[in-house]
Amino acid sequence: MGNKGKYSFYVEDKALEVTERPRRFLEAFAAVLEHSNYGLALDMYSRLSTKCSRCAASCQLYQSTGDEQDIPCHRSERLLRIFRRYFTRSGIFKARLFDRFTLTDAYLDELAEAVYRCTACRRCKSSCPMGIDHGLITHLARWLLAEIDLIPKALLVATREQLEGVGNTSAIPVPALKDTCEFLEEEFQDIYHRDDIKFPMDVEGAEYVFFPAVSDYLLEPDTLMGNAAVMHFTGGSWTIGTGNYDGINYGLFYSDRMMERIVKNVVAEVRRLGGKKILVGECGHATRSAWFVPTFCGPDAPEVVNFMQYTWERLQAGRIPLKEERIEERVTYHDPCNIARAGRITEEPREILKVICRDFVEMTPNRTENYCCGGGGGTVSIDEIRAFRTGPLGTRKAEQIRATGAKYLVAPCANCKKQLREVCEDHGLDEVEVVGLHDLILKLIDFGTEEDVADTADDESPAKQAESAEPQEGEVA
Amino acid sequence: MESWIEWARGPAFIFALSFMLLGLMRHFCLTIWEVARAVRRAGNKSFPCRQICIATLKWLVPVDKWKHEFLFSLTSVLFHVAVLVVPVFLAGHIALWARGLGVSWPAVPNLVANVLTVVAVVTAVALVIQRVSARATRALSRFQDYALPLVIAVPFASGFLVMHPAVNPFSYQAMLLVHILSANLVLILIPITKLSHMVLIPAVQLVSEVAWHWPPDAGSKLAVTLGKENEPV
Repeated sequence: MGNKGKYSFYVEDKALEVTERPRRFLEAFAAVLEHSNYGLALDMYSRLSTKCSRCAASCQLYQSTGDEQDIPCHRSERLLRIFRRYFTRSGIFKARLFDRFTLTDAYLDELAEAVYRCTACRRCKSSCPMGIDHGLITHLARWLLAEIDLIPKALLVATREQLEGVGNTSAIPVPALKDTCEFLEEEFQDIYHRDDIKFPMDVEGAEYVFFPAVSDYLLEPDTLMGNAAVMHFTGGSWTIGTGNYDGINYGLFYSDRMMERIVKNVVAEVRRLGGKKILVGECGHATRSAWFVPTFCGPDAPEVVNFMQYTWERLQAGRIPLKEERIEERVTYHDPCNIARAGRITEEPREILKVICRDFVEMTPNRTENYCCGGGGGTVSIDEIRAFRTGPLGTRKAEQIRATGAKYLVAPCANCKKQLREVCEDHGLDEVEVVGLHDLILKLIDFGTEEDVADTADDESPAKQAESAEPQEGEVA
Repeated sequence: MESWIEWARGPAFIFALSFMLLGLMRHFCLTIWEVARAVRRAGNKSFPCRQICIATLKWLVPVDKWKHEFLFSLTSVLFHVAVLVVPVFLAGHIALWARGLGVSWPAVPNLVANVLTVVAVVTAVALVIQRVSARATRALSRFQDYALPLVIAVPFASGFLVMHPAVNPFSYQAMLLVHILSANLVLILIPITKLSHMVLIPAVQLVSEVAWHWPPDAGSKLAVTLGKENEPV
């Protein structure tokens, strides 16, 4: 698997060699300040930070551990201190006078541990009177550390596979993708008696090019079938591009440099197919990364649509045929931070759920104030820190879920789903089923073959069949 | 003593006030300049302006921020109101402006000013006590975080004693000198400490958003700068 060395996560051997890391870190820092706009925020934050600790009360990690190292402001100060000392005139001057702080290897190690304890959920931003975005600081610090090769291996190997290997983070080759989609099309035939619902591949000039979290092809057949069914009934012009079919972008979690490369690959695939829009599946970070498309590719870049936005618009227009029945069990909704924190997608999924469920209950708090699943910022992919993720990071979420008494926990995000399943497992929430939004929509779509469905409904569900399928080599969830 | 007071409220005050105003103007202009530059460089020039405005206003008028840390929020708001209102709207101060520059504006009644002065001193001390007593803030605090509220409390406490000779155990003139000198010190500290938030706060939500908007190709350019353009992942 690799070497953990002194960290709680696996890293590559390169990260453990001590070779002038502070100097390289500062070089990278200087280059980042030159090429990005982060310097503006750091300059202001380093002046304004008042150390009032209001952020502590809003952080689910600090609530669990009570460890002062986990106070968002305390973590941010680690990076601000480097910025002040090396990149502000007063800091350089003070250092000449007092020689108080020098960046050391050990300091960088502490910084690395600190920023990978944070899920970058940005909940603390709204509680900071000075408007400091601690999530931005975590994001930036991780990038700077990545430039000295200090990256959790789980994130690194997945990105390597995506950019230089098979072409996606789960290492699913094109034939396997086609097999999966054909299998799902057969499922439509077997269960719903429809042989006209397809997963179109490489259709040129389609309006929407589809980018789910690629792990959905391995783990979430019901979500994908829900997506395909919605597209079928709404007459949506869509396609999966065999050149690139992965919406996952771990660059968001550790390096803007990687993020840019991955985003540009997505846009290149849309352009290759002559498509118009990027249709992101149910995934929070994939959606937020795709929102950076105009940042990296300019204003003429393709528009980004999240599948839930597409579905709600069509459902409102009455374009999706639904059965008379509704979901009777209690349903609750988890807001993925990456789409909900800034208030961008909070209402569409709720409106859909209110239509298809009889007993929809909210978690408290919710929407922009919602607690992170505990696996945000890519930490969910780091398997070796599971106990930390479901423990200190996940406890607050588990309490929230338990308080709703829900049977179905809807989480429209591949990362949140994985984390929430583990949280439920580790906290004894065995009765809770973590599903995607389109999984529930699939249950209620009227395929027009009702009487046949009754006969075959007891057959193995696609989810069960997929579970029994062989896992793909090099799978990264 | 008389000449010291003349110096403190003459040249020293003019220097302190100018230092503060020029310092704050510098912060203000540099911020606008830097934001404009960042926006010019950004690949994506569309910003959630409505949200930025709402977040900014919500913190300038923090009426819905009482949910957690109620006592701390209350202390902080009272402190801010008192330290902003009293120096500017005290009748005695306005009379000095009228005498020196011939400008004046409405004053708050002296009773209100008295109450707010006491509030300023009490809340300043309370802020420090809360800072020491809460584990989280104690872990975070630097020297200046404890010192600033107390430094700010000095001109208010001394001003109160100047206004109320009956309760002033010290000489009137000494107290007046302390009052003016400590106020001058606060004015000088404003632009060079975290007190500069008085002009920077309206911009911080905007800055936080702009910082997420990078120039196009920022990543590839960085790779070139660091000589990593051909390095494998």
